[in-house]
Amino acid sequence: MSSAHEKPVDPDQVVLWSDDYEGHDVISTRTFGFWMYILSDGMLFATLFAAYGVLSYSHSYYTGPTPAQFVAPWYTFIQTMALFLSVLAYGFSMAAMKTGSKAGVINGIVASMVLGAVFIGLDIHDVLRMISMGVTPEVSGGLSAFYALTQVHAAHIFVGLIWMLVMLYQILKKGFTEDVVGRLISLRMFWQFQAVMWVFIYVFVYLWGYMS
Amino acid sequence: MSHGHSNPLQHPEVQMASRSSYLAGFVIASLLMLAATILVSGQVLPPFALLLTIMGCAGLAAIAQIYFLLHIDISEHNIWNTVALVMFIPLFVITIGLTWWMFSQLYLRTMPMIPGMPGMH
Repeated sequence: MSSAHEKPVDPDQVVLWSDDYEGHDVISTRTFGFWMYILSDGMLFATLFAAYGVLSYSHSYYTGPTPAQFVAPWYTFIQTMALFLSVLAYGFSMAAMKTGSKAGVINGIVASMVLGAVFIGLDIHDVLRMISMGVTPEVSGGLSAFYALTQVHAAHIFVGLIWMLVMLYQILKKGFTEDVVGRLISLRMFWQFQAVMWVFIYVFVYLWGYMS
Repeated sequence: MSHGHSNPLQHPEVQMASRSSYLAGFVIASLLMLAATILVSGQVLPPFALLLTIMGCAGLAAIAQIYFLLHIDISEHNIWNTVALVMFIPLFVITIGLTWWMFSQLYLRTMPMIPGMPGMH
């Protein structure tokens, strides 16, 4: 106590905490924080599901087309498989990271990107087909809700593809540093969560819409 | 929690990745979506039973993906992710469910039938 008085503390020099504290687990902290973001992203989807739910009555389509007339279940099933396979490829990439295999991680992410691009390509093709049939968002409230929900999901996939591109660059440039590994794990959760949301979109929007 | 601070690849978040678990999640979810697609395109069940069945498929596929892919379990490392998800599910269900309920009641009382429209379901 007395020694502190003998030597005055210089506020510009004093170190209040170690920036390499052993107990500070950067990857766990960031991963949990990103999981919080993912769940709030889930609430964004909840609002869009709610909007679609209240705008998928037959009067919501007025006299225009309903999903039963423009949804092609097997086409969208192929989209589903492209997305699930993309998520699987990303998972295998993360399994390769356990042993520090750079080639394994990069191959997995490239495969995941290709399959994600197939998903986006099929989505764009489907949207163009629907537009050519006169099924556009401005026709009815039901179609606005349909497009909003499905295309917000497609936008998530697009963002995921950009993120993968950035991560490929960072793996090559920086290697498996704590930051890069943490981001790869956040991207894993983001990508897997899009598959979970797609299950609900596929079943409750496409399949249910087709059978109504 | 004494994680290997020096080597990020030794972190449990990295080491919990598992090919067999990801493959299991993929196979289960794919088969359930295939079953739902076959049932819907074949129209073999009456509408209400069909709806319940595909809802079941969606629920099981989501649970399989959340368990096998997102590592949501009660292990020491993942428990807080699980707690957050358990807190999230009621919010998700209430947001959709109450909105849908309010509007369905509103439509019942206010929505007239318009000529040329398909019938209410």
